[in-house]
Amino acid sequence: MERDKLRVRFVVKGVNTEFVNALRRAMLAEVPTMAIEDVVFFENSSILHDEIIAHRLALIPLKTDLDSYLLPEECGCGSELGCNRCRVILTLSVEAGDERRTVYSGDLSPDDPEVKPVYDNIPIVVLAPGQSLKLEAYARLGKGKDHAKWQPVSVCTHKYYPSVEVYSERCDLCGKCVEICPKRVLAVEEDSLKIVNLLNCTLCEDCVRACPKNPPAIRVSPVPEAFIFNIESTGSLPVDRIVEEAAKILEKKLSEFSQKLEELG
Amino acid sequence: MVDGVGNMMIPVRCFTCGAVIGDKWEEFLRRVRAGEHPGKVLDDLGVKRYCCRRMLLSHADVIEDVIKFHELFEKRAR
Repeated sequence: MERDKLRVRFVVKGVNTEFVNALRRAMLAEVPTMAIEDVVFFENSSILHDEIIAHRLALIPLKTDLDSYLLPEECGCGSELGCNRCRVILTLSVEAGDERRTVYSGDLSPDDPEVKPVYDNIPIVVLAPGQSLKLEAYARLGKGKDHAKWQPVSVCTHKYYPSVEVYSERCDLCGKCVEICPKRVLAVEEDSLKIVNLLNCTLCEDCVRACPKNPPAIRVSPVPEAFIFNIESTGSLPVDRIVEEAAKILEKKLSEFSQKLEELG
Repeated sequence: MVDGVGNMMIPVRCFTCGAVIGDKWEEFLRRVRAGEHPGKVLDDLGVKRYCCRRMLLSHADVIEDVIKFHELFEKRAR
């Protein structure tokens, strides 16, 4: 319906609330992404403590390649810091010369060029002249349910598809509903009340309460079994891929569940 | 991030929704210092929600002040 690089808004029809909510939760908590998990500091004379820098590093979204990396718990290596298939090493080595130097996310150099920070200009720390920062960071796949740094989405919401009906025989175009609507859904055009921005309607019913007529000349209601999804990616995965993966994960979980049920007889 | 004296540096993500905002700080600061209206700059940068907008609007970069002491130490050591 609407999309750009990071955001997408689409309509889902013919499903119930439980299903869309399951899909939403799968996107938030189950779709894996890459994030820094362990950091080894060799040198840190900056004014921020090691753990604060590690925390900042962890929150930097990394481009995720789901096809060539495995979740550490699914990888057979059993090593604490992982192997080539389940972790990426990013190194950072910056020394300030005679001037102040800001360390950016772009200064991280990954051993796999595909898994690089999504944004190159996130400030990590400012170094005073003579200070230096040298570290090795281990990134791995993880899930949003373990830590928010692994969430592929920042916003992931759904709402009912709205329906606004105007009873023109009762409406005298007083414009009170147009004024009160927080989302500017309505407008008086020529000699009728028009719905100009239907999808922004939040079903708050302010327009119904503002209508001086009794019964009101306007009615808002949710369309049954229709939802508007609103998703915003952090940049680590494309939005389409997030929805796709969430659907796959949901399907896998459901088939596991039905299999378990069958085993029980 | 939070370091006794407040936010030393711009947080990487919005506290509320988790959207990345750290990458927008330097452009925001530069343009606001150049005299542009902060609200307009935020609109331009695509920062829509008020949770993310307050992150940039209310941030004071304390590290710039703290680091002056370290620069002085450095000078004295020489």
